[in-house]
Amino acid sequence: MGKGFGKTVWTVLFLALFVVGHSGIAAAAEPPIVIGAPLATAFLYGWDAERGIKLAVEEINAAGGVNVGGKKRPFAVEVIDTRDLEPGVPVSEALLGMEKLILEKKADFIVGGPVRSEAALAAMDLLSKYKKVSILTTGVLTPAYQKKVAGNYDKYKYCFRITSHVGVMANELIAYLGEIKKGHGFNKVYIMVQDVEHARKGGEYMKKLLGDKGWEVVDMKVYPTGTTDYSVGLRDAAQKKTDILFLWMDMPESSILLKQWSTMKLRALPVGFVNAAEQPGFWKATGGKGEYLIVDLVNGGNAPAKITPWTMKFANAYEKRWGLEPEGYGTSSSYMAVYTLKEAIEKAGTIESGAVVAALENVDLMGVYGRIRFDKKSHQVIPSLDPAEGAVTSIVQWQKGKRVQVFPPKTAEGKTLLPPWMK
Amino acid sequence: MEILLFGIINSVTLSLTALGFTLVYSISRLPNFAHGALYVTGGYIVWLCVNALGMNYFAGIAVGIAATAIIGALMYRLIIQRIRGMQISEIIATYAIGLAIIEGLRWGGLRGSTFTLPSFLAGSMKIGGIAVDNQRLFVLGFGVVVFAALGLFVKYTKTGLALKAIAQDEGSAMMLGIDSDRKALVSFALGSGLSAFAAVLILPLGSIVVETGYNVLIYSIAVSIIGGLGSWGGAIVASFIIGFAQLLTEVFLSTQYQMVISLLAIIVTLLLKPSGIFGKQKELDDRV
Repeated sequence: MGKGFGKTVWTVLFLALFVVGHSGIAAAAEPPIVIGAPLATAFLYGWDAERGIKLAVEEINAAGGVNVGGKKRPFAVEVIDTRDLEPGVPVSEALLGMEKLILEKKADFIVGGPVRSEAALAAMDLLSKYKKVSILTTGVLTPAYQKKVAGNYDKYKYCFRITSHVGVMANELIAYLGEIKKGHGFNKVYIMVQDVEHARKGGEYMKKLLGDKGWEVVDMKVYPTGTTDYSVGLRDAAQKKTDILFLWMDMPESSILLKQWSTMKLRALPVGFVNAAEQPGFWKATGGKGEYLIVDLVNGGNAPAKITPWTMKFANAYEKRWGLEPEGYGTSSSYMAVYTLKEAIEKAGTIESGAVVAALENVDLMGVYGRIRFDKKSHQVIPSLDPAEGAVTSIVQWQKGKRVQVFPPKTAEGKTLLPPWMK
Repeated sequence: MEILLFGIINSVTLSLTALGFTLVYSISRLPNFAHGALYVTGGYIVWLCVNALGMNYFAGIAVGIAATAIIGALMYRLIIQRIRGMQISEIIATYAIGLAIIEGLRWGGLRGSTFTLPSFLAGSMKIGGIAVDNQRLFVLGFGVVVFAALGLFVKYTKTGLALKAIAQDEGSAMMLGIDSDRKALVSFALGSGLSAFAAVLILPLGSIVVETGYNVLIYSIAVSIIGGLGSWGGAIVASFIIGFAQLLTEVFLSTQYQMVISLLAIIVTLLLKPSGIFGKQKELDDRV
């Protein structure tokens, strides 16, 4: 035995280490699938989506990742603050953010926003240019989004929306109000909306639908953002013997409206789309004066409820991860968007955009808020009042500090209660 | 009755929010465009003291007001004093500081509508058959007390008299040994403290959100321009004009134009009487 033997031993050892080490590195070295999330992170409709996306990504990665043609790849999330919900920020800022995600951060897919409808509509051309599959999950209430996809499928086929829009929401609210009308003999509605485009248009649309369904719309008031006194409107509603106070506001000052409503003991039930009431902290913020408010959370699962077996699993996981119940209306949809994307990638066996588009069009998944399927032409999630058939909404009433699901009937966990002064 | 009652309440609320801005300008001729940001900061500091540090509410209020006053003083000492007299720079600097504070608060976690301060008085009472929050009545009552206290301060204290002297004629005041820079520092601190005090009274009606800072600034400027830059009495009168104008617009025209009324009032005032209702400054400058 001499130098030659020693050299051989070291060579063999070195080779053995190289092979073992290299195979280990190779297994861990699958590049992540990058999800780009353009969101207005300083606002509820931005951070709700961010949290939903991150929770889903963490769960999927913990379970081994996404099976892409036999290889497991993790998801990675790149969030960019588009600031598109801040007043005065132009749409171009959101588009720059989106482009940065695609070109610099090398996003393979876009999930989340932009959040403002104008920005999302403008971003569709960008997505088409770079052939990036996008799933909108929050904000963007305009029906124009899916109309644009259906109107020019070849160009906009990469765009999907897994969250609801104002056309669906309005009809769901009308259906819910119809139930209350039957149950309590209500007839008069007073509409109070914020002076922003989506609220004004939502209010106008509701006014028309309510009139068609036999309701008497006694008045419609439009309040500038930042209004801190609603006494005149509320007194007017009282004098006109209103039964329902229909609200459409996403400004924080809407909590002042509810406080004044409660103080005045107005004999009208407040119902609508109220941003401030979508957060679990709303109860404490109003000192309990927000009780009996009925609020549309747009997509099911944004408050704890038993819609499908997955709903409470999600709600509990969310609370464990973020320290509070789901809030906003983009939380459950953002969470489901990531799982839906996973499903589509695994079915397609690739992350190539064309193949994923085809897979998404054929996805059929029982999710947090019902059956997730997309319309093949418009790429809008198919809604339903039955979770077995489609994506359901969540209309809740604040009762004793909790958000209780009261609509749709197949998922309701409680009845709509009237304030004591209305009985 | 309803118009009278809510008109008075809203007008006093408006004048409270604008008081700090008016005070600073009247003494130091410095437009503090960070006024709205300081308003929100004061409220948020109180919230932090109570919710994050577990302090007693009144102790938290004292800390909040003092801290905001110190921030105002530091703003003046470190930045504004260096550019005093350069009017455009003063506006740009204070506006930039205000923006930085507001966006800094947003970035630091002041988001959503769940940051609230407890009301001093819970419940409501009926006045002439109209139910009104006790907190709104508290703001009304305390507002009157604040105006009276400020009036007494300016009339009967050494510092107050010095501030009044500078407001009337800075040159003569300096000749009499009153340190103009020092008094400007005091006015900034006092104005900032007043904005925090107003926040503590008014924010319990709703919640603490950064956007309030922008609204407070717009209303303060409207009140000051209409009342006459630097005139405290003018600011109070202007608050009542705007407060009632908004309410009457709501009742007889449309709720949608409430904000427009304040901005329209600025334009009309500048067209008809640029110095404001009680302002004399512009006329004198013009004559000279």
